[in-house]
Amino acid sequence: MPRVSRRTFLRATASTVALGAFPRALRAQPKTVKIAAIHCVTGPLAEPGQACRLAAQIAVDHVNAAGGIKAMDGAKLELMLGDTQTKADVARAEAERLINAGAQILMGTFNSADTNAIVPVAQQRRVPFLVDISAADPITANVAKAVKEGQQKTQYVYRNFPTGTLFGVRAVQYFNEIFKEAGVSPKRVVLMHANDLFGSNQARGFQAAHKAANPSWEIVEVIPWPEPPSDLSTEVSRAKAAKPDIIAPITRPASAQLLLPEIRKQRVEVLGIVGPGSPGLYEAGQLAVLKEDLEYVMTSVPWPNFKHPRAQKLAEEYVKRSGGKTLDTNSGYSYDGIHVIADVLERAKSTEPDAVVEALKKTSYKDNLMVSTGPIIFNEIGDNPNAAPAMIQIQKQKPVAVWPKEHALAKFVFPRPKA
Amino acid sequence: MAVGLTLIFGVMRVVNFAHGDMMVWGMYLAWLLATRVGVDPYASFILCAAVLFVAGLFVQRLLVQRIVDAPHEMQILLMLGVALVLENAALLFFGPEPQRVRSPLAQSTLWLGSVFVDVARLVTFAVAIVLTVVLSWFLFRTDIGRSIRAAADNPYGALVIGTDVRRVYAIAFGVGAACVGAAGALVAPLLPFQPPTGLQLSVASFNIVIIGGMGSLLGAFVGGLLVSVAESLGAVFLKPSLKELVSFSLLVLILLVRPAGIFGKRVA
Repeated sequence: MPRVSRRTFLRATASTVALGAFPRALRAQPKTVKIAAIHCVTGPLAEPGQACRLAAQIAVDHVNAAGGIKAMDGAKLELMLGDTQTKADVARAEAERLINAGAQILMGTFNSADTNAIVPVAQQRRVPFLVDISAADPITANVAKAVKEGQQKTQYVYRNFPTGTLFGVRAVQYFNEIFKEAGVSPKRVVLMHANDLFGSNQARGFQAAHKAANPSWEIVEVIPWPEPPSDLSTEVSRAKAAKPDIIAPITRPASAQLLLPEIRKQRVEVLGIVGPGSPGLYEAGQLAVLKEDLEYVMTSVPWPNFKHPRAQKLAEEYVKRSGGKTLDTNSGYSYDGIHVIADVLERAKSTEPDAVVEALKKTSYKDNLMVSTGPIIFNEIGDNPNAAPAMIQIQKQKPVAVWPKEHALAKFVFPRPKA
Repeated sequence: MAVGLTLIFGVMRVVNFAHGDMMVWGMYLAWLLATRVGVDPYASFILCAAVLFVAGLFVQRLLVQRIVDAPHEMQILLMLGVALVLENAALLFFGPEPQRVRSPLAQSTLWLGSVFVDVARLVTFAVAIVLTVVLSWFLFRTDIGRSIRAAADNPYGALVIGTDVRRVYAIAFGVGAACVGAAGALVAPLLPFQPPTGLQLSVASFNIVIIGGMGSLLGAFVGGLLVSVAESLGAVFLKPSLKELVSFSLLVLILLVRPAGIFGKRVA
């Protein structure tokens, strides 16, 4: 065993004492920042959940390849993976597990109910939580209210994605603009929706926006169904009996696979199927199964801005790494989410929760790849008021942005041609 | 679907919580045959039943046989474990996307005036009746069927008269699995499925079987009809989102009025 001299021993002891005396913040920053990406990668919403996870991984690779977080000595991002199994109780347990394992920032989850279950954990444990995808308004609104009323000191939950209310406002606006542009005036709209937290919230947002805008068309019937449904024939019969000009569906992937063939089978003659915003109407897996039943279906969803040069490049990489799937709502927002976190860390220069929150509040991220009305910012509720959907339509079995005009890559087809 | 569940319970008194997941595998098998080989599910359901029969025999011999005499809670834990394995294996092999088998029959409809009839549902209903009749014939008119009924009635008595009860149990489990395999293939063009669909199907099966009476073939058939009609009426006269409330209220009502189910035998 080598001998330790008296001088070496004293030097080492003095260094240790000195290091201990320094405040924590002055020490070297950790070499990695641990981000918990919690998504529903199994369960009924596994397809979009897996898309979110892959996009987050791609974004982390891009940030790390570009030198990591420069303001933190090039600290690399490390993705810790969590799976909610599309169950709220599991979502909460996963958040706890990953925080105990050292997660410094949370991101997730796609499913509003799961996201809602993680919110109290983030608040209790003081871990900043960026909601990459989830539309239900209460997710951020409840926390903002608690902070405003003094029940909680700090808001740790922020959302990049549009809220249900915002979805509703934009959907009604796009409906009006498209009807006007097409020179048709539908009168009767039947709203059909999944009755889970997301579906009900979206339906409420759409109805409230309709009431506020008071357009020339009416919502003549609202038909909810239990999600996931085993049969929608009765629901479609009810919709048909209401003599609709437009069917506005708020679906999930499984319910879309029941609803659209049923509309065709029951020969419901409408000018169009135009959704106020939901999954199930544009994904590659859905197109493979539903084929012509999805043709000309329109839906107002957050969509990549393919006029942005980086979006095209990312889409190509995503196709390769996903085995042929397209960059869409889910993958796009998770990708942007990681870049927002990287931007926040650059400005916070620390992973200390309150510093991260302060940086989050001052965010103005302009290089986002999704369609928006401005840079990503967070308002007093913690939501991004510039997040905006685009109206997409399935044309020749591919989803393409058709409205608003500045983001459109093709002209919409409305009313849809009769079969 | 429910007939298979009631057969397994009626013979072995094993509550098969993996029933829905076995059906999902039947659906995926039909999907594979349709997409890779081009066989219509209305033709491939016999092959699906055969494959599930063999798989059922295997599961019974390997796992279920060991817990036939164990308390119900042990059986439930094992079958829940089997369900989890089946669900996650499906996720691994087939991915998370919902699937649906395309069949020309599933695209066609009949219009009788203003009344619309879904041909696929009509055919599925007819095949379900035929399969139930064939199963009844098998149980009541064949030697193996009689052995199954004897083992269900009194396993020790069946042993005494020289019945190989272990073999009978394996065949009964296999036949139950075959029923669910056929049901899976027949329903695959009607109902989108993905790995977690199994739980939903298991719950629906239990609801039907408990209403009809555990262990009764006729009960499973009538229970299925009752639940479907109750849900449809609920969707028409109440909110569509309340239709499951109607079918489960029916379950509560039956349990209160006739705890053994409509055709179930009261056990002392």
